Amino acid sequence: MNSFGATVPLLLIVGGALLVFLLEAFLKKENKNYLAYVSLFALIGCGILSAKAWNAGRSYFDGMLRLDNPALFLTFLFLIAVAFVILIGMKYISMQDANHGEFYGLLLLALSGLMIMVSSTNLIVIFLGLEVLSVSSYALAGLKRKDDKSSESAIKYFLMGSFASAFLVFGMAILFGTAQTLDISGLIAFFKTGPDNQVLSLVGFGLVLVGLAFKIAIVPFHMWAPDVYEGAPTPVTAFFSVGPKAAGFAVLIRLLAPYWNAGFGSAKLFAFLWALAALTTLVGSLIALRQKNIKRMLAYSSIANGGYMLIAVLAGDGTALLFFLTTYVFMSIGAFGSLIALTGNGREYNELEDFAGIGFKYPWIGAIFAVFLLSLAGFPPTGGFLAKFYVFVGAVRQGLTSLVLIAVLASLISVYYYLRIVVYMYMREPEREVSIELENPALYLVLFLSLYGVLQLGIFPGNVLYLIKQAVSALF
Amino acid sequence: MAILLFFLFAALAVGSVLGMIISRNQAYSALFLVLAFACLGGLYGLLGAPFMAVVQIIIYAGAIMVLFIFVIMMINLGEGISPEKKKWTIAAAVFMGLILLAEIVFAIKGAPAVPMIGQEMAGTSPIEIGRLLFTKYLYPFEITSILIIAALVGAVVLVKKRDGE
Repeated sequence: MNSFGATVPLLLIVGGALLVFLLEAFLKKENKNYLAYVSLFALIGCGILSAKAWNAGRSYFDGMLRLDNPALFLTFLFLIAVAFVILIGMKYISMQDANHGEFYGLLLLALSGLMIMVSSTNLIVIFLGLEVLSVSSYALAGLKRKDDKSSESAIKYFLMGSFASAFLVFGMAILFGTAQTLDISGLIAFFKTGPDNQVLSLVGFGLVLVGLAFKIAIVPFHMWAPDVYEGAPTPVTAFFSVGPKAAGFAVLIRLLAPYWNAGFGSAKLFAFLWALAALTTLVGSLIALRQKNIKRMLAYSSIANGGYMLIAVLAGDGTALLFFLTTYVFMSIGAFGSLIALTGNGREYNELEDFAGIGFKYPWIGAIFAVFLLSLAGFPPTGGFLAKFYVFVGAVRQGLTSLVLIAVLASLISVYYYLRIVVYMYMREPEREVSIELENPALYLVLFLSLYGVLQLGIFPGNVLYLIKQAVSALF
Repeated sequence: MAILLFFLFAALAVGSVLGMIISRNQAYSALFLVLAFACLGGLYGLLGAPFMAVVQIIIYAGAIMVLFIFVIMMINLGEGISPEKKKWTIAAAVFMGLILLAEIVFAIKGAPAVPMIGQEMAGTSPIEIGRLLFTKYLYPFEITSILIIAALVGAVVLVKKRDGE
C-alpha cells in the first residue's frame, strides 16, 4: 500500500535529532538531561507509529521504502536498544567528561540510518542508510575528546569504515553494470537466469559481501572491532555491539536467503561464507580467552556471536536469526550496562582484577552481571541458551552439521572466559580499591529491564516467537 | 571544430600531467593536476556527457584539489624519498604502469570504429538526471541530506573546543 504514512516514523526520528541539535545550543550545561527526555519522546512516538503499521505493509517512494513486518520488528528492536543506550549513558557521559548534547542527536541519526537500512530492498538506499549510521558512529566513538584511546577508536573506525564502504560501492557499481538493477529481487532474478557476465557479477556480489562483512566484524574483517569497542565510551560500545550488527545481518539475510537456491555461483559463495562463519566463531572465542580487559573481551565475544548469526544466515533461518538478535540486544546491553554500573567519577574499572570480590561488595550488580554473562555463555534458563539452540537446530535441519559442531566447540571455549569473570567476582579477594557511583536510577532501570528480557526470552519465549514468525513470513 | 578542441584538450591534459610529474614543488604539481582535471572535464563535454563534465570540474578540479592544496600547504613536505624506498617506489610504479598499459590496449581494441566526438548520448543530460533525482531517486536524495547533516555535526563534535580551553 503506497502511503506517505510509511515515512512518518523515520521523519520523527530525524526531526527529533534536529531538535536535539537545536536545543543543545540554547540549554545550560546543567539542563543537558532534557535532551535525553526529548530523544526518549521521539523514540516512544516512533514506537507507537511503528506498532500501528504492523501488518499494514505500507510503502512509499515507489517501494524504495517498505515498512514490511521484518523491518518493523527490527525497528522496534533498535528503538529499545537506543532507548537503553540513552538511559545508561545519561549519567555516564557527564561523569566521563563526554557531556555533549550531540551524544543524543548522533544516536538518533544513527538510529535513522539503521531504520533506513532495514526498511528497503534497494542496495543504494541500504548503502546510504549504512553511511548515515557509520558517519554518526565515527563521531560517537570519539566523544571522549580528552581520552587518547577514544580518539584512536574514532580514527580507526573512520578509516576502516571508509575502506569497507569503498568495497561496498565498488561491488554495487559492478553489480549495476551487469544486472542493470540494484533491487534485491531484481538481482536474485538476474542470478537465476544465468547472467552473461558471470565472473564479473560474482566479483561484484563478493565485494558487496566483503563490505558488509567489514561492518559486522566477521573474521578476517574484524581487526578494527576490539580497538574501537575498547576506546569508545561504554554506552556507545553497547550500541555498536547491537545496532550495526543487527542491521547488517538483516540486510545479509534479505540478500542471501533467496539467493542460496538461485543457482548460479551460490555454491561457491556458500562455501566461502561457511568458512568465514567457522573462523569467526573459533577466532572470536579463542582470542577472547587471552583478554584481561573486560571491554575488549566483550568485543571478541561480540565477534564470536556474529559467527552464530552468520550460521543462521547460511541456514536461511530468519526466525532463529531474529530471535538471536532480540536476545543479543538484551544480554549485550545488559553486560555493558553492568560495566557502566562499575564506574566512578572520571574512572572506569574494566580490568579483570578490578572485578575481584565485586560480587560481595556490590551484590546486586554482581548478581545481575553474572546472569548476563551466563546468558552470553548460553546457559539455560536464560535467553542466550534458547537463541543458540534455535540457531543450531535450524542449521542442522539444513544439513550444516559439521559447522554446528565447530560452533558448539567454540561456544564451549567461550564458557571459560565468561565464567572466569564470575569466578573473579565471587571467589577472589579484592586487591584494588574500587569506588563507584551508586546513584544512577536510569541505569538500574535498564539493568532490570534487560534482566527481565533475558529471562522472559529464556523461559517464556512464545510471545516474541509469535511476532517473529509473523515477521519472517513476509521476509521471503 | 570539435576535433580541433579535442586535440587541444588532449594535448593540454597530457602536457599538464607531465608537468605534474616533473615539477619539484608539490604546490605546482597540485596546480598542474587541477589543469589536467579541467582538460578531462572538457573531453567529457566533447564526448556528449555534459553532466560528467560539470561534475568533473566542480568536484575534482574544485573541491578535492582545494583540499589537496590545503594539506600540502599545511604539512609542507620538504624531504624527498629516501633511496631504499625509492627502489620500491620505482618497482611499484613500473608494475602499475604495465597494468595501465594493458588496460589501454584492451580499451583501444574494444573501441568503436566511428569516433564518438560531438554525439549526444541518451540519458546523460543534466535535465534528465535532475528529473530522475527528484522523482525516481527522491528517497536516496533525501537520505543524502541526512548523511550530510550527520557528517557536519560529527566533524564539529570531534574538533569543537574542549571545555576550559
